[in-house]
Amino acid sequence: MKPLGLPLIFLLAVGVLGVDRNNFKTCDQSGFCKRLRPFKPEKSQYTLNLDTVIVHGNVLSAEVTTANTEAEKKVPLWKYSLTLSALVDGTFRIQVDEADPIYPRYRTQLALDGEPKADGLQLVSKEGGKVTLTNTQGHKVLITAEPLKFEFLDQNGDVAVVINENSQLLIEPLRLKREKNDEDEENAENAVEVEEEGTWGENFKSHHDSKPRGNEAVSLDVSFPDADQIYGIPEHTDKFALRTTTSGEPYRLYNLDVFEYELDSRMAIYGAVPVLYAHGSKRTVGVFWHNSAETWVDVVNYADGTVVSSLVNLVTGGHKRRVDARFISESGIVDVFVMLGNKPADVFRQYTKLTGVTPLPPKFSLAYHQSRWNYVDEADVRGVDENFDVHDIPADVIWLDIEYTDRKKYFTWDSEKFRHPAEMVANLTAKGRRLVVIIDPHIKREAGYFLHEDATEQGLYVKDKDGNIYEGWCWPGSSSYLDFFNPAASKYYSERYRFENFPGTSKDVHIWNDMNEPSVFNGPEITMPKDCRHYKPPQDGQDGLASYWEHRHIHNEYGLWQIRATNEGMLERADHKYRPFILTRSTFAGTQRYAAVWTGDNAAEWGFLQASVPMCLSLAAAGVSFCGSDVGGFFKYPEPELMTRWYQAGAYQAFFRAHSHIETKRREPWLYEPSTTALLRDAVRRRYALLDFWYTLFYEHTLDGTPVTRPYFQEYPNEEETYTIDDQYLLGDKLLVRPVLEAGAKSVKVYLPGRDTNTLWYDVDSYQMHKANGYFNQEVNIAKIPVYQRGGSVVPRRERVRRSSTLMANDPFTLVVALDANNTAQGSLYIDDGETYEYKNNKYIYAKISYEPKQMTYTLVNPSAQFSSRAWIERIVIAGIRAAPRTARLHHGGRSTALQMTLHRGNDVLVIRKPGAPVSEDWSIQFAE
Amino acid sequence: MVNSYSWVNHFQAFVLIIFTFVISAQSDVPRPRGVSLSKASLYSPTKDFTCFDGTVTIPFNYVNDDYCDCFDGSDEPGTSACLNGVFHCTNAGHRPENIPSSRVNDGVCDCCDGTDEYAQPETCKNTCEEMGREARAEAQRLADLHKAGNHLRLELIEKGKKKRNELAEQLSQLEKDKTEAIKIKEEKESLKNQLEAKENEVLQVYRDAEEKERKRKAEEEKEALIKEGTEYFSMFDTNDDNVLTVDEVKVVNAFDKNKDGEVDQEEIQYFLGTNESVDKETFLSTTWPMLKPFAMSEQGVFQRGVENEELDDQDTDEATRDIETDEGDNEEENAEDDLPQDVDQEVEPESSRIYDDETQKIVDEASEARRQWTDAERAVREIESNIRNFQQNLEKDYGLQQEYATLDGQCLEYEDKEYVYKLCLFQKVTQKSKNGGAEVGLGNWGEWAGEDNKKYSVMKYTNGIACWNGPNRMTTVNIHCGLETKMLSVSEPYRCEYNIELATPAACDDSNASQQQSHDEL
Repeated sequence: MKPLGLPLIFLLAVGVLGVDRNNFKTCDQSGFCKRLRPFKPEKSQYTLNLDTVIVHGNVLSAEVTTANTEAEKKVPLWKYSLTLSALVDGTFRIQVDEADPIYPRYRTQLALDGEPKADGLQLVSKEGGKVTLTNTQGHKVLITAEPLKFEFLDQNGDVAVVINENSQLLIEPLRLKREKNDEDEENAENAVEVEEEGTWGENFKSHHDSKPRGNEAVSLDVSFPDADQIYGIPEHTDKFALRTTTSGEPYRLYNLDVFEYELDSRMAIYGAVPVLYAHGSKRTVGVFWHNSAETWVDVVNYADGTVVSSLVNLVTGGHKRRVDARFISESGIVDVFVMLGNKPADVFRQYTKLTGVTPLPPKFSLAYHQSRWNYVDEADVRGVDENFDVHDIPADVIWLDIEYTDRKKYFTWDSEKFRHPAEMVANLTAKGRRLVVIIDPHIKREAGYFLHEDATEQGLYVKDKDGNIYEGWCWPGSSSYLDFFNPAASKYYSERYRFENFPGTSKDVHIWNDMNEPSVFNGPEITMPKDCRHYKPPQDGQDGLASYWEHRHIHNEYGLWQIRATNEGMLERADHKYRPFILTRSTFAGTQRYAAVWTGDNAAEWGFLQASVPMCLSLAAAGVSFCGSDVGGFFKYPEPELMTRWYQAGAYQAFFRAHSHIETKRREPWLYEPSTTALLRDAVRRRYALLDFWYTLFYEHTLDGTPVTRPYFQEYPNEEETYTIDDQYLLGDKLLVRPVLEAGAKSVKVYLPGRDTNTLWYDVDSYQMHKANGYFNQEVNIAKIPVYQRGGSVVPRRERVRRSSTLMANDPFTLVVALDANNTAQGSLYIDDGETYEYKNNKYIYAKISYEPKQMTYTLVNPSAQFSSRAWIERIVIAGIRAAPRTARLHHGGRSTALQMTLHRGNDVLVIRKPGAPVSEDWSIQFAE
Repeated sequence: MVNSYSWVNHFQAFVLIIFTFVISAQSDVPRPRGVSLSKASLYSPTKDFTCFDGTVTIPFNYVNDDYCDCFDGSDEPGTSACLNGVFHCTNAGHRPENIPSSRVNDGVCDCCDGTDEYAQPETCKNTCEEMGREARAEAQRLADLHKAGNHLRLELIEKGKKKRNELAEQLSQLEKDKTEAIKIKEEKESLKNQLEAKENEVLQVYRDAEEKERKRKAEEEKEALIKEGTEYFSMFDTNDDNVLTVDEVKVVNAFDKNKDGEVDQEEIQYFLGTNESVDKETFLSTTWPMLKPFAMSEQGVFQRGVENEELDDQDTDEATRDIETDEGDNEEENAEDDLPQDVDQEVEPESSRIYDDETQKIVDEASEARRQWTDAERAVREIESNIRNFQQNLEKDYGLQQEYATLDGQCLEYEDKEYVYKLCLFQKVTQKSKNGGAEVGLGNWGEWAGEDNKKYSVMKYTNGIACWNGPNRMTTVNIHCGLETKMLSVSEPYRCEYNIELATPAACDDSNASQQQSHDEL
């Protein structure tokens, strides 16, 4: 969804498509970025007061002071409190706040998945102006008192992360606004503080930001010795590996509804996840900047050609491998997590330990979604549903965008076009399908609309700078915005999802929360003014600045609060029995705990198809594995080739949904020529065949927290060529996907990693084996999707693709065993009911599958877990077999059965016909020569 | 029979993976589950089975063993094992059906006899009898409707044929009229030419006199110019040497073309050319004509600017009037009709002159002849235009038997919540918002667009008003048999593509309906 209105009409009238950059700030137009970006003192003003150091439990606390380095530094200018905590799994946290702020500074609330678990912290020494600490895993922290510096050492004792190396630690102390007439006092008391222009108010275009708290920015620099590349801080349309920003804008993190966002850009878009990963062959580490305010990130990669070599030599003494990064946020405190890895998978896991994993999604949500702004009425929905069957294309979900409502009033239905929603839903569920409807956070200001009246009466709306209800412009016209920070608002909102409050919905109706940056068409940068007021519990007082948070403090987590309330509502509406599915556009650290994310309003252009891969890789590394793009492109119309390639790519991305703009030509798969429809059908069927593989990956993600969609370097961390590859990726550690992203491609460059470990890769279409050796050219025709299975893996498939995933629940499996150089392979399979929480009561099947030359075993990991399934194994394909066994016998439940086998291809693919083994019990197959 | 049938189903529910063989409930030909009667002979239990595509031969007990051996799916007609297989339901009591194998045993009842869900036979009830009954009743209803509508259709056909005959008759009458009119036109033309020749002759005297007068005036003007020029030359030639030098010119305001208070080099060059000086002769022939307006304006003799503006205004007014006239004409007739009128207007000034009585009479006679000729010519064009219209109507496809002919131009309206739709058959479709605003064209008559032998079941109206950022609007009209001609519904299934369901007796055909019915019962 996107603002349509006047800007679009204007843009199209003059024949130009593209972002209107004037609507969005550059660093120079954002007061604190302009103010702080040049800040790079010779020496940090901050000093640790060694006398105040106390180590208690897992926490070091101490006082930090600033001194005027120019003059006598006897008298501290300001006092700060420092805490450094050791957390489990090689993670440390540093927090620096004012020791005695005039009112509390905002601490981001929802990003963390509960209080992080403590590790032991021991004071090793405190001498020579340094404090040395260690955790239980052998990581060390060296704190230099003056100037303040933190060095984190890996388990080998090498410096892995340095904080404040570049002296860019800065916390602007809160001050009271002085009246103009007490100039004398000002001169006397605080001569150093020169009142900069913009301290108490800033303008952008026609918008004024009143800044009642004045300047309150924070900044911190982090250095990563030995790093070749850094990644993270989605959401941007840039490459996965971040680039040096010295000669341009920093990366910006500020959730914004950017109309027709542009590619290869560091501009802020819908999401902001302030986590960075630094990777090199020596180690992988990460830093999570726990801050929800507008944030800018500068990057300097010393290996980058754009960095002046003299600077490199000066700073690193000729040591080329290092990346520096620096966060600048408008408000909050310095709160940073240092994750010491030291492999990519470790550091990705460490991040999800802090902010949470994606819980096991309902299975249907991993299948194919069909959306459109808008399916116009019930007959249209029925027609689309039926056409999937007519054209024999599987689909699990049909989506309704904003037009289903009664004039954009959420939790209502258009009384003409959607008169029988319950019947419509029943019609879908009869074939195992679901409905997703959109619910946005803006509320139509209309007398008589229950939500508006309740919110007004109960004080549930965000307030403007003067404390009145804030009014902005969005889809419904004049709108106000629920203040989810108010527990009463969140509770009220959650309750709207109850079936009795939202008639026509059922457990099979799921939710899409869009426009939750929040999007405000007439607001500064199309969002909410920063001086709007959010609820704050009254512990710090009822009046004045201490009694509310400003929107500037919480902006990036606004959407997270909304989806949290939605999630809660969806759990409660069905007594916590069913797993909700939510899609969100706004994204922050922790979003993955509640929702899937899509890359917003893209366009039917090859560039956007290409961008979907690094964008989702970046989000996945930042915890959001459940990511996808609008297949086909939101704006404009995809011609058959682009549409085909996008379906083929989407079939191998986690969130697989076709969507389109209301003004574009309809493009359901059957509206193309039959030859194209056939290709789209094939792509969707491939997804369904692998649905259990996807489901297993997501289950395993809940166990280990590592991305489902992985960059090569996660699995091959020493293979330097892979560090910048972001047009191909891995699904788990088993499948390698190189979607065709180029128009008219006759061949694509596929990189096969794992040269050093003699890794083999099998083309999943032909079982042709390739030895890993970097790039090779894969010929492609329009039907080809280059996907390879790693030798040494077992992938479960279901070849009987039906109308929807639900209808495939009892169907048999095909196990594809791809052998490694040692003729072995391992895999896993997870099965449960697909929609409830019964799996938490041990109602599931999780089996490890292992192949060795003499036998293949299927073993339940947790014998006390049980789930009754009529599914069975109908086929086992063993690819890369060198000496075919003569006989095979299935051993199961004390019985032994001879199995039939056939050899295919160049006698290197063995197919076991109908072993008939169950999925709910252990079994093994013995092979004999 | 029914009992044994369900027993077989029951048995298979427990032994899913076992080869199954069904005795059909409808006939005694034994065939594997999911095979139609017509394909039964391809499955012979006594020999190995060869896939329909000929690629693989398997033991017959691999047929329907719930494992896909054939690439074309032909070995598993009765299971879901093959992705591209087909399952045949007999549906006794209703229509038989082929469904994709992926619908076998998926928990959804697809065949009315429930045979697709044999793994859990309790899932589906056999609804074929009921559905068959309903289908037959519906077929009967349609047949009745067609039958009832057929009378009306026959009337339409009769009227249509009559209309067409009338059109043809009128057309041939028009052709006759045209011949007649052309004859009259030719007569009038010859008369006109004759009288105009005479007119020319008598007017020549006046023209000659006029020409003479015009020349005299020109001569006078020229002399005046020279006289004036000479005066000015003397005035400028301050040293009376009969040569104007640059210095002499420099002090004369009239040469200050751009009125900047100074006669600069550029201005001197403009008036004197590249010469340093100019003699009297050159001054009179070259410089003076250029200089005069400036000299006059300098003296306030006339104000050039004002006069020009007035002239411009006049021009504009005339232009506007012309356009208005054009528009008015276009509404009624072809723009060509303007031509003779223009001729009249040109002649008019002449006739407004005063002639002697004799001449005046000749001029009047010529004018009258011209008018008559113009009328005659217009009459021919009108007839020709009518003929074109009639021909177009006759060429329009009104159905095999002209059943739609009388509906041409008939307009129907349909209202929904937001819009009033208007369909003028064989003309156009429009939409008007109930909240006001202009009528939007959703398409003009295009063509019959039904598929194959149902050409007359679909009309297309194309080339409507273009959608913002999209294609031109178009409308598809699906035609059904009904006792009156009316719109049943209007929808916009795709952006800017409209659908109208139209009922009309013209689409009723009891011969068709009865055929269909008998087919259903087969």
